Amino acid sequence: MKKLLFSAILGGLTLASCSSDDSPSIDGGEMEIPATYTFERNNVSTVDFNGQTTRLEMTAEILANFNDFDNASEELLSNMLSNENSPFQNSALNNSDKSVKSKIAASTLFFSTNTVESSELKNDFESFISEQMTTVKSNRNELAEAGKAGQIAQGSTVRYVNEKGLELNQAFAKGLIGGLVADQILNNYLSAAVLDEGNNRSNNDAGITEEGKNYTTMEHKWDEAYGYLYGDASIPAEDPNSVLNESSDRLLFSYLGQVDADEDFAGIAESTFEAFKTGRAAIVAGDYELRDEQVAIIRTNLSKVIGVRAVHYMKEGDEALASGNYGSAFHALSEGYGFIYSLRFTNNNFGDPYLEPKRIEAIREDLLRNNGFWDVTPLTLFGIISEITAKFDFSKEQA
Amino acid sequence: MIKFSRFLLIFALIIASCSSEDDGTDGGDTGGNETASFDRGAMLANWADNIIVPSFDNFQSSTQSLQGLSEAFVASPSLATLEALRSQYKEAYLDFQTVSMFQSGKAEELNFRSFLNTYPVNTTGVDAKLASGDFNLALPSSYAEQGFPALDYLLYGLGSDEETLQQFSENEIYSDYLTAVTARINMLTSEVTASWNGDYRDTFVNNTSSSSTGSVDRFTNDYVMYFEKILRSGKIGYPAGAFTGTPSPGNAEALYATGLSKSLYLQAVNSFEAFYVGDHFNGGGTGLSFYQYLQYMETMKDGASLSDLIGEQLSAVKSQSSALDQDLQNQVEIDNTTMLAAFDELQKAVILLKVDMMQALSISVDYVDSDGD
Repeated sequence: MKKLLFSAILGGLTLASCSSDDSPSIDGGEMEIPATYTFERNNVSTVDFNGQTTRLEMTAEILANFNDFDNASEELLSNMLSNENSPFQNSALNNSDKSVKSKIAASTLFFSTNTVESSELKNDFESFISEQMTTVKSNRNELAEAGKAGQIAQGSTVRYVNEKGLELNQAFAKGLIGGLVADQILNNYLSAAVLDEGNNRSNNDAGITEEGKNYTTMEHKWDEAYGYLYGDASIPAEDPNSVLNESSDRLLFSYLGQVDADEDFAGIAESTFEAFKTGRAAIVAGDYELRDEQVAIIRTNLSKVIGVRAVHYMKEGDEALASGNYGSAFHALSEGYGFIYSLRFTNNNFGDPYLEPKRIEAIREDLLRNNGFWDVTPLTLFGIISEITAKFDFSKEQA
Repeated sequence: MIKFSRFLLIFALIIASCSSEDDGTDGGDTGGNETASFDRGAMLANWADNIIVPSFDNFQSSTQSLQGLSEAFVASPSLATLEALRSQYKEAYLDFQTVSMFQSGKAEELNFRSFLNTYPVNTTGVDAKLASGDFNLALPSSYAEQGFPALDYLLYGLGSDEETLQQFSENEIYSDYLTAVTARINMLTSEVTASWNGDYRDTFVNNTSSSSTGSVDRFTNDYVMYFEKILRSGKIGYPAGAFTGTPSPGNAEALYATGLSKSLYLQAVNSFEAFYVGDHFNGGGTGLSFYQYLQYMETMKDGASLSDLIGEQLSAVKSQSSALDQDLQNQVEIDNTTMLAAFDELQKAVILLKVDMMQALSISVDYVDSDGD
């Protein structure tokens, strides 16, 4: 109840602040920001992000099979990643021409002229699958040790780790939060290169919709960004925060909720949704300056979610290692490893990720050096945490 | 500048909402100073010396006998040795209920509770191991194939007494598996008991810090989590289908030793309550525990003392249990409503413990429902 009331207050504040702050850039008061993500033309909705929902569903099915050593195989998971040979239970997914892999590290801003790295990053996800279904699978009935893959207990849960203590399903899932979701939102659909491509602005100004569709191209690009965050089938499209921390999403929306639940970051979910809504309304109104202000807010917020969780899990892993609880430590460090991987896809609004890609790679190497999590030191973890927090505006204590 | 002042405003609101909330619930009669001046060290010493250590010592001798009687049984399987083993199994399973809530230190490190009492037993898994002759009980993936639930199956779930004796007489793997299960229960218990009798006792008692890593904070989290997840959900909630709406009697504890599950439940509730009021395990006195701590804090809820409310609610849980059948699986099958009524009483206690007590003691809840990954 307290929490509800509080978000209502914050919500009210955010709304109030938007109207007072942003009023100068609204053309003659024509712009209306709806209470929910509802936009129509001739009384028909202009919002459509079914392609994003499809890719999120594919991801969910891959994750559901990732630890199923008895039924899944490297071939099956790899087919799911590329959507080849009808790998999915859900036949609608098999019939789709989309795949998860094609959108990993595939943003216009970061990778259109950087296919070398893009291809390396895509292959990381193939490697996670391959290692899981070979090394880890063959040791699944052994106890893990330093240098030896196998199973390890985290309380009543069984975790499967490689010889360095890394849970590959965590690396894969948390890596996709950046590699697929954040990259597509922040660096692709919300980038000027995509929103303003070709005649997008003039078409949008003139209300020229795509052939056979009810939306302008720019409107649709914005909605596709929205769909990667809020497109899980369990999330009501118009009012996603009504299921914050209660949806079936396991990717960025889930962690936006978890970060929002920390009082140090309360309101971040509300402010992100407001920015999506305001930016979309700005596109309808042709106010591109206001739109770009919202892009900056979204980039800041979603990058911060990734940064906060990276630090959060390094801290948690450090504490668990100190008390000798390897299962819990490795689970936290594995999640953290995935979020650190995802830092590559954050966007600091100057066209770069918050940390330099080569530093992110160096951190990942530090974590997995020698026997990896089995012998990572508190000093190494402290250094990683400091390096990340130095680039963001939150502290270790807050994360 | 505008941005800055908006920040301040949000901050002020947060502070305002927090402080008003606090005023509303505890009548403004608690303060940081009082938390600090309650003798937490004496409470920790009472917990360790008069409750936890004697409980483990007792359980350890119980598991020692269990191992001995299982060795005697497999050496010469007869109705007499089987009955002696069965009787000690029940005794030890009841004694386990007195230590299951103590997850600190070695117990947590070894995943003691998961290895000793993950139920329902995975009979398919046990049968497969018995058929192949290949098993490794150290693997966490074999939680549900060992401990008391596996003993329950091996001693009561293989058919009639004659059929049971026949299996153990004719198939060496049955004897090997049974011996391995009882030996592992005893080995894990020895390790935990030894650590409490060794250095860990001082580590625990001396860590009087009121931070989230202090013994009181951590123990309280474990204790309340035990009540919510292991006692309420495990013993009553899952079999009753309290979370799904579909009763699943097969999730009851001690499925095969008919008529044991209610005794296990009651023993768990009694032990939890005795701990709450600080009763010494071996009788002969009472020391500082949660009841005294809350008394000291003078915490009130709805005009009544919280320490008494919790005690009364635990009594209500026990008095409701008189309506339960000796066998909880049977209870679910014949009249699940009574089982759900038990859940409701337990849930009332969860709220008092997890919300009111922890707030009054300024302890934040550090366990959350797993996000499933």
